[in-house]
Amino acid sequence: MSSTLSNQFNNLFTLFFSLLVEAIPFLLLGVLFSGILLWFVDERKLIAILPRHPFFGALVGSLVGFLFPVCECGNVPVARRLLMQGIPPQVAVSFLLAAPTLNPIVIWSTWVAFRDQPEIVLLRVLFSLIIATTIGWVFSFQKDLRPLLQPAIARFLPDPNLAEYPDSVLISPLLKSGTFLLGESEKPLRLDAMPMWEATMNPALPLKNRENEKKSSWFVVPDQAGIIAMLNSMVQELRELGGMLVLGSAIAAIIQVAIPRELVLSLGQGQISSIVAMLLLASIVSICSTVDAFFALSFAGAFTSGSLLAFLVFGPMIDIKSVGLMLSIFKPRAIVYLIVLAAQLTFVMTLLVNLYAS
Amino acid sequence: MKNSQRKFIKPFLKSGEWLEGLSISAWGALLLKYWLTSELYILIHPNYFALSIAGGFVLLGLGIWKLWQSFRQYKNRLKAGQLSNQLLDQSSTNPKNQHITLFPANLSNILLLTTALIGLTTTPQVFASETALQRGLTESLPVTRLQTQNFRTATKPGDRSLVEWVRTVNAYPEPDAYTNQPVKVTGFVLHPPGLTDQYFWIARFILTCCAADAYPIGLPVKIETGNSTQYARDTWIELTGNMITQELNGKRQLTILAKEIKPIPKPKNPYEY
Repeated sequence: MSSTLSNQFNNLFTLFFSLLVEAIPFLLLGVLFSGILLWFVDERKLIAILPRHPFFGALVGSLVGFLFPVCECGNVPVARRLLMQGIPPQVAVSFLLAAPTLNPIVIWSTWVAFRDQPEIVLLRVLFSLIIATTIGWVFSFQKDLRPLLQPAIARFLPDPNLAEYPDSVLISPLLKSGTFLLGESEKPLRLDAMPMWEATMNPALPLKNRENEKKSSWFVVPDQAGIIAMLNSMVQELRELGGMLVLGSAIAAIIQVAIPRELVLSLGQGQISSIVAMLLLASIVSICSTVDAFFALSFAGAFTSGSLLAFLVFGPMIDIKSVGLMLSIFKPRAIVYLIVLAAQLTFVMTLLVNLYAS
Repeated sequence: MKNSQRKFIKPFLKSGEWLEGLSISAWGALLLKYWLTSELYILIHPNYFALSIAGGFVLLGLGIWKLWQSFRQYKNRLKAGQLSNQLLDQSSTNPKNQHITLFPANLSNILLLTTALIGLTTTPQVFASETALQRGLTESLPVTRLQTQNFRTATKPGDRSLVEWVRTVNAYPEPDAYTNQPVKVTGFVLHPPGLTDQYFWIARFILTCCAADAYPIGLPVKIETGNSTQYARDTWIELTGNMITQELNGKRQLTILAKEIKPIPKPKNPYEY
């Protein structure tokens, strides 16, 4: 009927704009943080203090997300740059997966939406932490991350095999092939064996003697050129991510209007079907993690709490929007690993919630 | 604007480099338009107004700055003889500026600009009866919504809004407890299927954050004279009457016995919270 169709269209537009109006301020906030980080924070200090242990490094990487309260839109460029600077793979991957959820803004917005169900807030944080740390730890087994990265990023990373060459072997470094820095210290330094952050610090001093470096602050004083550069990068990121946000919101609005509620409700009560439906919905709808709690709230009456958790945990990690952004870092094969691992872990943990906790 | 700059405007407009600044300013303008026309009430919860309004100002400022900057850069390049049609970033050799994009730059801009223009030229419609029926009109609050923490009869019955009535009934569902209490509520008219001519429903939407989670609540209304079809659906009315108990569809339900029905204009803020 034409009146139903026009009503559907009206609803579609209202929903679409409502999602966008809600999400754009958060996107702006994220872009602002990302810009400040890019231009005014000395990330070499951050990288220098990150642990290299496979498991502990992954755990710390998950928690680093607290410093960057942006939604998943904002942390992909940050992770990309940290990778290029040479942080260990487990830290980068766990940061990528955990940062969208483990940050103050998302925890606050989840609490606002689910004020009367604080267990959802707690479990969201806990599950995201566990999953991100586990997947980061899995990636730590891949010592050389370069085959999994896009070439544009991989060329910034050193060859880890070279770095492990023992110093005690009595072969002059000059008899090996590679890129060396001469004259900076008593023996030639192998440039292509150092991560970039180490190479840009004063390479002549051993790490423990770099006292001057330690005393300099984490923040760079903003000057006019820096501010202009920051504004430019903000505009660029807004444009990139704004386009994805518009598409994601359109898909979300269409799904909400097109799928009859009876179909959705019928899926919502099954222990397993609800989780699967929510995993799919989360990956399709691609809502920013800072506001997805409210979207989940609209299904709260009809879906099991385990499936709502699946939406809240899996959505910020993997969705159409973030996969698109992650393709700028990883090759498709690595992204498939991430998707499969995240989906399996989320499924198992939320199924346990459904079976034993509700 | 100085004369020396005026001659650059036309080629600048032809170059298309204003697209980025314009799309961002258009979104800033849209957010501010929603605020100034109060259409923001239809889209999101008032708690988030401050964020959206601030975002609108920041976007507008950023967009206008970008427009100005693009113009200056274009002018400088024209003067230096390096005419180019691409969006050339002056510091593109700095690795920090190498954004790797998924969408071609212009596609994103066009997408943003188009949606902003659609928003600027249309009015978002309030959700109405069809959506209410589709979303499951109910006189009860779904289990996971904000529950009444304590049941206090602090508000006099005659002062309660429709939402407050529904919350009261949820806390203590026995309909006879409210018989003959005075009622004065506003809402829109709804004709769910399965009701006789003497009945219709009065309903409103409740909003927790934004339109995506709006859900309908309402109560049945009985009229003693006349036919319920004379009240077209989606009409906003102010209803005065008393509470009675009726059996509808086999269930005892709290119903409003209408004494006076007055049509009112559609309120600026159609939701309750």
